[in-house]
Formats: sequence, structure tokens, C-alpha cells
Amino acid sequence: MLILTRKLGERINIGDDIVITLLEIKGAQVKLGIEAPKSISIHRQEIYERIRTENLESSHVNELDLARAATLFSSITSNRN
Amino acid sequence: MKIKTTRFGTVTLGEEKILNMPFGMLGFQDKKRFVILQNKENSPFFWYQSVDDPSLAFVITNPFLFMPDYEVDIENVLIEMSWNGNSKNNILELYVVVNIPKGAPEKMTANLIGPILVNNKTRQAVQVVMSNSPYIHNFPLITQDEIESES
Repeated sequence: MLILTRKLGERINIGDDIVITLLEIKGAQVKLGIEAPKSISIHRQEIYERIRTENLESSHVNELDLARAATLFSSITSNRN
Repeated sequence: MKIKTTRFGTVTLGEEKILNMPFGMLGFQDKKRFVILQNKENSPFFWYQSVDDPSLAFVITNPFLFMPDYEVDIENVLIEMSWNGNSKNNILELYVVVNIPKGAPEKMTANLIGPILVNNKTRQAVQVVMSNSPYIHNFPLITQDEIESES
């Protein structure tokens, strides 16, 4: 891993079109500004990981469980309100 | 066109049913083409089946079936996908990914921070990453109280 030390307001360039700016330091938190082409997806890692894990688990749902879930869901939601 | 699936055998569908996901699903970015298959008649759930990988299918549902006031900020998505002018309700459709733990369908949850937005005009879709939302990734579709009164 490349490790760089930066001061407030300083920037890091990645390739030709990604720029990261250190915007604010407050205690244990730092605020970063990221400029990148819109084709590059940028996410907080924990959000990305949660969605990725949910996707992975959803891809392993078996048909029997799905059929039972559908019956249960339909029956319960029809009793709502 | 014929689509091979491990769950339903070979499914024949019109080309126009195929959805293109330029960025794929998170964790599955190399799979770009999907179709939405109804699980069963009247089922609230659909399979989001990969066209390119017969064994890959996610379970999805319409979030408004259980959360009528669910909201997704699509302003940036419209820009990223170059969907400007396609924000009308009759063009866009929203789904959420559902997870059903093995052998425990009563514990089914929906991921409300990674909805799939479908554009019926361009036949494209995108999984939206909701970083600053009030929602959770494992929202229970039915509550414990409802399960108890059901049984």
C-alpha cells in the first residue's frame, strides 16, 4: 500500500482524472473531497459491503423458501391496515 | 431469444425484455444483462435472472408493497446514467433485493439501501447505492407479531 502524508487542503492525484482533497480534520474524522469521472463508482466501503453481501445472499435463495415466503408475505400483507 | 437458467430451464423471451446494467450488480459487476421473471402468478417476488450466467438470479420485489412511502433520491442516478428527461413514473420502475435465509422464510428481509432502478425506455437498469439514507439493508418484510398472529 502506498502511504502518503497530507496537510489540510492538500491533494492527491490518481491517474489523469481523479483528485482527492483533504477538506477537513475533526478529531478522529477526516472529510475528503473526491473528483472523478462519473464512470467510476465511489462508495463508502461499509455501504458497498452491505449491499454486496445482500446481493450474494439473495443469489443463494432456494425456490422452496421463496415459495413459502411468498405465501407468508401475501397472507400477512393482505391483513394489514 | 432463449435464455438458459438453472432454476427454470430454458426460457424464451423477446430481446426487448433484456435489461442492460452498465455497472452490473454490486459484487457481480461482470454480469451486465438481466431479465425479470415472475416467480409464480400473483407472487410478490420476482427473479432477477442473469442472461449471461444461468445459475445467477437474485430475488427482488416491489418496495411499495410493504413501504408505500419508500423514497430514493434519483437525481444523481439520472445524471450518471444519462437518463435526463426519463424521470417520469411510467418510465422508471423500482425494485429491492430480497434475502430469504435458508429454511427460515419468515425471516425474509429487503435491502433498502441498494434498490434497482429500471428504465423501461432505454431498457437499462442500475443498482443505486444509497449512502445517506434513513433505510437499512435488512428490513424485515414481516414482523414477529405478524408471524405469531398468523400461526
